[in-house]
Amino acid sequence: MSRAMYTAANPPPRTAWDRINPIRLIGELSETRYWMYLLLLPSALLITAVVLYPTAYGMQMSFREMRLNRPDLGTDWVLFKHYARMLADPIFWTALRNTAVWVTSSIALEFLIGLVAALALNRNLPGTKLLAVLILLPYFLPNVVAGHMWALMLDPRMGVINDLLVRTGLLTGYKAWFADPSTAMAAAIIVESWHSFPFFTLLIMAGLKGIPTDLYKAADIDGAGPFAQLRLITLPMLKTIIAAAVILRVIGLVNSPDLLLILTSGGPGRSTQVLSLYAFQIAYKDFNFGYAGALSVVMFVLLMLFAWAYVRLSKVNQD
Amino acid sequence: MTRFDRRSVLKMGGGMLAASALFPKAAFAQSASINYWHTFTSQSEQAGLDSVMALFKAAHPDINVTPENIPNPEFMAKITAAVVSGSRPNVTMVSSERFRDLLAMGALIDMTDRIANWERRADFDDSRFASISLDGKVYGVPGFAFVDWMYYRKDWFEEAGIAPPKTYAEMRDAAIKLTDASKGRYGFGLRGGPGGQNYIINVMEAFGSPVLHADGSIGLDRDKAIEAIDFFAGLLVKDGAVPPSAANDGFRQVIEGFQTGQTAMIWHHTGSYQDIVSKLEPGVQFGTLAMPAGPATRVARLAYAYNTITKEDGADAAWEWIKFWGEPDAAVAFLEKTGYFPASTVAAQDQRITGNPMYAAAADTLAFGIPQPSFPGAAGWAESSVLPNFQRVLIGEATAEQAVDEMIAGLAEATA
Repeated sequence: MSRAMYTAANPPPRTAWDRINPIRLIGELSETRYWMYLLLLPSALLITAVVLYPTAYGMQMSFREMRLNRPDLGTDWVLFKHYARMLADPIFWTALRNTAVWVTSSIALEFLIGLVAALALNRNLPGTKLLAVLILLPYFLPNVVAGHMWALMLDPRMGVINDLLVRTGLLTGYKAWFADPSTAMAAAIIVESWHSFPFFTLLIMAGLKGIPTDLYKAADIDGAGPFAQLRLITLPMLKTIIAAAVILRVIGLVNSPDLLLILTSGGPGRSTQVLSLYAFQIAYKDFNFGYAGALSVVMFVLLMLFAWAYVRLSKVNQD
Repeated sequence: MTRFDRRSVLKMGGGMLAASALFPKAAFAQSASINYWHTFTSQSEQAGLDSVMALFKAAHPDINVTPENIPNPEFMAKITAAVVSGSRPNVTMVSSERFRDLLAMGALIDMTDRIANWERRADFDDSRFASISLDGKVYGVPGFAFVDWMYYRKDWFEEAGIAPPKTYAEMRDAAIKLTDASKGRYGFGLRGGPGGQNYIINVMEAFGSPVLHADGSIGLDRDKAIEAIDFFAGLLVKDGAVPPSAANDGFRQVIEGFQTGQTAMIWHHTGSYQDIVSKLEPGVQFGTLAMPAGPATRVARLAYAYNTITKEDGADAAWEWIKFWGEPDAAVAFLEKTGYFPASTVAAQDQRITGNPMYAAAADTLAFGIPQPSFPGAAGWAESSVLPNFQRVLIGEATAEQAVDEMIAGLAEATA
């Protein structure tokens, strides 16, 4: 009996089972150019469900009247009413200014402390592993826990920090840090920086491990000191990581009102009112989801613009 | 040895099925589970809730109550999300100032018929339901009362030879006399931080400037409100008789300030009584007083924490839990752990309450206390406009005139 020789060019004839066998069909599909789209489909559906749809819904909400506690007003389209109100709302402008201060100061401080910590830990001296764990600890604390902890430590009656400052002679009496508009924002920024600088430490440390030591040896031979090496080798080599870390932290800081909610609730007065907190209060205190939606859209647009401008200015996409 | 064939097994199974259909209650234990959203946070409040739950469990072993603590600052956000997403709790504790907002968003279920047929309905004065009723429908049962009163350092007052104050003017004089900033001692613990908005509204009303008129129109009288803000903020900015941290002082700070001997007087309600007793000796170190009278009227809020049904499923079990709070034993057990006054008139006449002179001020307040202003947007306006604008006066960023103008504008917007 002769047996046919099957090759890729001369495949065996398909049986009825072959035509409906799902594993075979998937196998064949994986050879086509549609396979990539099929693999992306689950994540695309997920993103549509949990990101795109809510975002689009939030955006359309900003063009509608939507006050949960005033059903008598209906939910009609109001076009740009909320955006017009925003332009005339002094609290919005205060919150915008405070957001800029809150984000830039926190990021600057977090980056500086994070960089110093990462450089120190990268030296692999005895005890650095233990120190690395200790340094990362604040980042593991939820914002709520960190906020309450610092509120107690900075308490004007029994706060340990006031006590230390008075004992060391740096203060003459206990200070109500969060009740004074000149110190409330600064105190909140310090708390935020303490909580989140390990994020920078972690990413920068990972980046430092990827820098070839030969570069530093060559720089040494050329007579470059530590600061020159930092400026000319370390920071340029970390450019991509720093850019990613800054963008992620900016997004986190602009969007999260929880720490300020616990520490100051935006006060005293409006001195620590930021956009995210204002949007939260408008939504969940005033139940005006239309106006809160408009505030959120503005935050979203500002963040997109920032990310675009930052990537362009930092030239992170260029070699 | 007995052998079972297929036919005998089928017969036995059929018999058991028939028996279970004939005796459903015997075949399946009847039990219900409900969840209860509340805003209790302090240890004393938690102990009070535990006491009520233990009594309820003994009386209703077939109903499981799962309490869930929702901190006050997050409460409206969580309940709003739960209502919108359809994941409501069975029973929710609702304070009177939140009633109109929750009703407007459709969170509350009409309980009028259940309450009308309740055997303990007569134990509650009609006025107890005023802040949870609209258009003849009742949406909750008062679980306990927040009776505003004042704590004062009895020992300090006696030492200084000052009589306990009955008016705002007397209170201010006493606060100034008892202040010694060099020793870190202040006359009054002003709550200018979270939660302080209600006291600011009270002071304005006590000066003759209620938030709304009876017809719902804006009742804030600009001149009187300015006078009120000037007086209240003046305790810090003019008299220096309150701690400099006042603009950020919320519940914890105000209570701790009194407990630790920083302040001579504070305003709160009976719910903090056990917290104060845990640090100071009642009747010796501190005493309780009815709220002092303002130039126009005396304002002491008599608010209630209402238990409401927020989900149709399990409504019968929810109703059992809600009405249990009206039982005198449960109300007194809760009072003994927390200090929260019973809403039931019968429970309030219990010897354990009337026999305690420290509760006399609260009992007196029941006669003249008034409910908090309630309208859709009231809580938001108080928190987003009244408090920050008052704080601006405290920190010297605005005058009383500017603050009141902002409050009036905010109120007009909230009620538009």
